[in-house]
Amino acid sequence: MADSLQSLEELKRLAPPAELRRAPVVEGNPNLGALTDKLSQFAEGKTPRWWWILFLPAAFAATVIFPTCLFYQVFTGVGVWGNNHPVMWGLDIVNFIWWVGVAHAGTLISALLFLTRQHWRTTIGRMAEAMTVFSVMMAGLYPAIHVGRAWLDWFMFPVPNSNGLWPQFKSPLMWDVFAVNTYMMVSMLFWFMGMIPDFAALRDRSTTRIRKTIFSFLAMGWTGSARHWHNYEKAYVVLSGLCTLLVFTVSSIVGLDFCTSQLAGWHATIFPLYFVIGAVFCGFGMVLVILIPLRKWCGLENIITKSHIDKVAKLTLVSGLIIDYIYLMEFFIAWYSGDPYERWVFGHRLFGQTYMVLGWMLIGINVVMTQLLWFKKIRSNLAWLFVIGLLINVGMWCERFVIVVGSLYQDFLPANWGKYMPTIWDIGLYIGTLGAFFMLYLLFVKFLPFIAISEVKGATPHGDPHHPLGGAKKGGHQ
Amino acid sequence: MNMSSNETTSLRPLDLSGWRKLPVALMVVGGLLAAVGAVLSPKEFGFSWLLAFMFYYSIALGALFMVLMHHLTDAGWSVGIRRFCEHLASLLRLPLLILFVPVALFSRQIYSWMTLDPAANNLVAAKLPVFTVPGFYVASAIFFGVWWLLTSRLCSLSLEQDQNGSAECTYKMRFHAGWGIVAFALTLTASAVLWMKALQYQWFSAMFGVYFFSDSVWVGLATIYVLAAILFRQGILAAVLKQNYFYFIGVLLLAFTVFSAYTEFAQYFVVWNANVPEETFWYLIRENGNWWWLSMILIVGHCFIPFFALLPVSVKTNFKIVIPVCLWAWVMHAADLGFNIFPALHNEGYPLQWIWLPLGCLLFMGGFLSRSFLNKFQAHPPFPQRDPRLLEAMGVNANVVNDLAEASVGGAR
Amino acid sequence: MSEKIYGLMAEFDSPGAVLHAAEKVRAAGYRRWDVFTPFPIHGIDAVTGQGNSLVGWVSLAMGTGAFASVVGLIWFTNAFDYPLLVGGKPMFSIPMTFVPAYIMMIMGGAIGALVGMLGLNQLPRLHHPLLNKSRFALVSRDKFVIVIGAEDQKFSVTETRKLLETIGGVHVDIVEDQD
Repeated sequence: MADSLQSLEELKRLAPPAELRRAPVVEGNPNLGALTDKLSQFAEGKTPRWWWILFLPAAFAATVIFPTCLFYQVFTGVGVWGNNHPVMWGLDIVNFIWWVGVAHAGTLISALLFLTRQHWRTTIGRMAEAMTVFSVMMAGLYPAIHVGRAWLDWFMFPVPNSNGLWPQFKSPLMWDVFAVNTYMMVSMLFWFMGMIPDFAALRDRSTTRIRKTIFSFLAMGWTGSARHWHNYEKAYVVLSGLCTLLVFTVSSIVGLDFCTSQLAGWHATIFPLYFVIGAVFCGFGMVLVILIPLRKWCGLENIITKSHIDKVAKLTLVSGLIIDYIYLMEFFIAWYSGDPYERWVFGHRLFGQTYMVLGWMLIGINVVMTQLLWFKKIRSNLAWLFVIGLLINVGMWCERFVIVVGSLYQDFLPANWGKYMPTIWDIGLYIGTLGAFFMLYLLFVKFLPFIAISEVKGATPHGDPHHPLGGAKKGGHQ
Repeated sequence: MNMSSNETTSLRPLDLSGWRKLPVALMVVGGLLAAVGAVLSPKEFGFSWLLAFMFYYSIALGALFMVLMHHLTDAGWSVGIRRFCEHLASLLRLPLLILFVPVALFSRQIYSWMTLDPAANNLVAAKLPVFTVPGFYVASAIFFGVWWLLTSRLCSLSLEQDQNGSAECTYKMRFHAGWGIVAFALTLTASAVLWMKALQYQWFSAMFGVYFFSDSVWVGLATIYVLAAILFRQGILAAVLKQNYFYFIGVLLLAFTVFSAYTEFAQYFVVWNANVPEETFWYLIRENGNWWWLSMILIVGHCFIPFFALLPVSVKTNFKIVIPVCLWAWVMHAADLGFNIFPALHNEGYPLQWIWLPLGCLLFMGGFLSRSFLNKFQAHPPFPQRDPRLLEAMGVNANVVNDLAEASVGGAR
Repeated sequence: MSEKIYGLMAEFDSPGAVLHAAEKVRAAGYRRWDVFTPFPIHGIDAVTGQGNSLVGWVSLAMGTGAFASVVGLIWFTNAFDYPLLVGGKPMFSIPMTFVPAYIMMIMGGAIGALVGMLGLNQLPRLHHPLLNKSRFALVSRDKFVIVIGAEDQKFSVTETRKLLETIGGVHVDIVEDQD
């Protein structure tokens, strides 16, 4: 269409002022070969010291603390946790929701930003997807052992058995089984499919026989044919669409676990959306926590640029604002409905003596602190962002605690009230899952292509067939 | 894409002069019907007028949302549609305020809580500072105040940039979009609650604001698609609209079809499953008489038909399919508003002999608002003339635009 | 061991160059040829003449299949084989089945997308003649390769080589097909 514009002069007149130039996806304008070297460097190079420093404690938590707490609980019973009447859902469910939440931002970044054609997502998408995969694993564990008799988990699947019994499909908890399994499966598929071309790149670069063999198997004979790419891109779009639906579905179903009940503080029609947005918000906090150190230590400042971090921070702000809106709606409806129980519960979230600290932490972090992200100064300060990301994870953990325990410990009957305190086994298991998550994540960073090599290349001017650097004969046409 | 631009250059603009008198005709016919209705039954008229008002209100809100999103996401493609979206959003100022006057005048006929004594009704008493007659007028005035401030700032800065092309305007618009999106969410929710949900003041649903938002954007996008298609066909926006931008609008329309189905399903499902009498009565009324049939039509027509019609990739740029879907979206949105509004008056089913009255109100407002929209549209350039993302919208490669920006800096130094 | 010719490969340096070259190969009337690139190139689908990919349909079929089977499963288990009354709800109702059926539809659709992609691409495969060429390994790095297959009716080692050289290809080479 540039032909309809008379001349280069005309084009220049309409060009944006310099300060409004689009930030390039990758800084320093490296050519395709250099970019490939840079992006596969970490998987191929010597393991740096920081990796070991992080890996060893994580591996300790994952291989010692985690199984200890897990087996003790499975062999003894749910009683080792603090769960007791009336708070039958304790830290296990809090952590379940928290882990599902961490997963969500990964899917949203890689799927929704792909559908909206945000090229900058190419640099962080893979890392976010891996975050999803590993945290869903951690999430899925909790309901499986919360049932008490983990060896009877197969009851949850429609397996024909000698008792002639079937699962009870009317229960939202049953839907959770489907939702979490689907989420794990689909996010793994998405993650794996995205890596196929990069496996091929690592295969072609490999110098040792063992690497060559492993990556050849993983790449499954990928050649990069235009026909392959054609089907691949279509599959990627479809999977992205499905993953975006999943973001909304999985947490909605977790929300349905709560709101299909009649308990004050749980029963609200906005709960499905509430859990979705809460999950995304928490996940963005985790993305900041992982991304900021990793880009520095892996020397990826030119790839994961400050502009990308700024955009992640903006997305964090957006999801934070939506979650604040939903908090407001909850309190508003408690007032508007005139329901005395609702008013009581929401009053006690902030002014009930037992858990008011957590309630105010929720307000302080998720509502007040999030507003810092409006300021460009904060968004361009990585140390601030790291701390904010960390605190968002804490704040969202408090939120889940306030929702789960805050509604259960004082229900409609005062005679039924009680208190809840987690035990060392609750906390130990949480530390164990954190360890397992970070251990898996570090292994992923070390051994697999943790930045989408092919996608990043396609998003640079060198990979753009309509740009002079990409070999276009004349610039400015499409 | 190249093919399509060749096609459009070869097609001559349609002759639309025959349609010029349509807004006035609509106003006359609709106005007569509405006036007759107001005389026959003030209550019936009040509800019908409210339905029509909420219909156009939501279209304007949808357009405003797109303008806000354009600034907040620093979008490139939506430059071409932004100007007419601004005009649509500007309807929230004077035109819709004028159309709100009958709602305010007939408020005692429409809102049953206004005639109840709070001392005898604890559900009204619970909402007291707002649910009083002065509270209603003050809150409504605040809503229009917010819309006035927001849309006038965004539109005047946009027109200012046509003159000077300065980056300053872009930054200012982004600033206004920043506080604007917060104000948008709060004001939209509050107005939907006060004007629509309060029809049955006993009922409450935390999802209601989100539901009204998703439907507003949905119908707003449908309107935007139709207007963009007409302006593209007439060659007015041909330079700044590419075929794949229609794809983007189509995808957004599809996404909001799903999202609005999601909000309605979540709201219904949570109420249905928990089975609390304070909430279920609202849906139980809507199972009476022909409301039940309307709810079935909405499930199929509001969700499934547009969803499956818009699902295939290639469809989204096909005017012959999407424009009918957009028109259908208007019908469905009006029906959905009827489903929300009218059972408060007719809880045994809608008396179809009155159907001409909401239609008349819709026609009158349609004529009135399209007249003010067209006047605005003709008074200003059809798209932002000096927007920093204009070249991108014209289809110049983004990497090349960046180079040009660098080059112009070099030249200046 | 018979040694057949699989085709001729030529190398290009940039996506723009390979796009223009591909246009010329197409104009020369070849049918069995392909472009190999490190990442998908915008606009190459039109040149290689590929319509809409069938992956979407595979996914849709798997998704709807999964949806329908879960609805059937829930009806069979909770309403037919062992009717289960819970909370006064009907044995079988649409809102109840929707959520699990919907989530399994996503599972089916996702598996359909991956399986469809692999199936249509005839993957996984353990071997491909091109993978024997050492320069072909650069395709996953920064080179762009056009291969014209020996099965093409217009294929002749000399003429095709000449074409590939005139359109700017370097390292034009014969790819052997070992069986």
